[in-house]
Amino acid sequence: MKISDIQDLEVFTCVQGEYSNIELTGGYTSDLLSDVMGNADEGSVLITIQAHKNTIAVCSLAGVAAIIICNDRAVPDEMLDAAANENIAIFQTAENQFKTSALIAQHIGHCPAR
Amino acid sequence: MLYRTDLHIHSCLSPCASLEMAPAAIVQRAKQVGLNAIALTDHNCTFNLPAFSVICKREGMACLYGMEVTTVEEAHVLCLFEDLETAMKMGQQVYASLPDVQNQPDRFGDQPIIDEHEEILGFAEKFLISASAYDVSSLVKEIHSLGGLIMPAHIDRAVFCIIAQLGFLPDEPFDAVELTALGRPELAQHYSVVRNSDSHDLSAIGSSFTELELESFTMKEIQKALTQAS
Repeated sequence: MKISDIQDLEVFTCVQGEYSNIELTGGYTSDLLSDVMGNADEGSVLITIQAHKNTIAVCSLAGVAAIIICNDRAVPDEMLDAAANENIAIFQTAENQFKTSALIAQHIGHCPAR
Repeated sequence: MLYRTDLHIHSCLSPCASLEMAPAAIVQRAKQVGLNAIALTDHNCTFNLPAFSVICKREGMACLYGMEVTTVEEAHVLCLFEDLETAMKMGQQVYASLPDVQNQPDRFGDQPIIDEHEEILGFAEKFLISASAYDVSSLVKEIHSLGGLIMPAHIDRAVFCIIAQLGFLPDEPFDAVELTALGRPELAQHYSVVRNSDSHDLSAIGSSFTELELESFTMKEIQKALTQAS
């Protein structure tokens, strides 16, 4: 699954489109950013409700390539700007983290949910 | 003048605090243990600040009006004001931003709002341990625009601590960072350090404090002292 394939799925809206369109290596679902920093894989998509600019700092350190913000949480401009600087894509959805993870997992190659 | 300060004390309004934590008892205990400036900082709520203000004025205790805000990151952050009205206004905004989850007193404890005579005026209905809608960055901007002080609380703890939540201390114009009594100062990096008791019962008041040399206990003087210490 490439990052751009996320926006082809109906429930996701791209809100930050300045990114390099790589093949995603996997996904990580967490709202505790210190956990994301230690455990998310490089080139993965983060599924979270943590919509603020420090999420971008953590994703940048961990090499996370895209973020999906769940539950329709608002994404502040500061977060969008920081993500554009780091080339990290951001998508928004009304779905929760569980449903989003289940949906994305169907599209990522080596996932057990496939 | 040397001020021995404790800027992180909960009243009975915080569900996790003892019901003995009425403003009059807090101020009396603070005097007994040699503090001469304190702040009341309940979780995400300022409803007991008016009573605290009356008691501090009556007892000649220097004070700041505050609250301990839970940010979106679920980090605890102390917000402190010189002026009651500003603190109340910010407190209303933070309380309004809490999710619509009601407190369950049997499970979490009561959240009584009291007056200076310790009469119960009512109860805070929303569960005060929830997270507000403010993230750390937007909270810093909001508090500074209102002339207040902002400092991440107990940054050496494992829970509700900004470093534990994010994995690092973000680069923000904090006025200081708070350490517990035994917290290692190197965690504070270039920020000035305050140590407070985070009292939830009377016996904890005075267990940790910060001494500030100030001409008078004003926001301007406190800011100057904290800047010099950083």
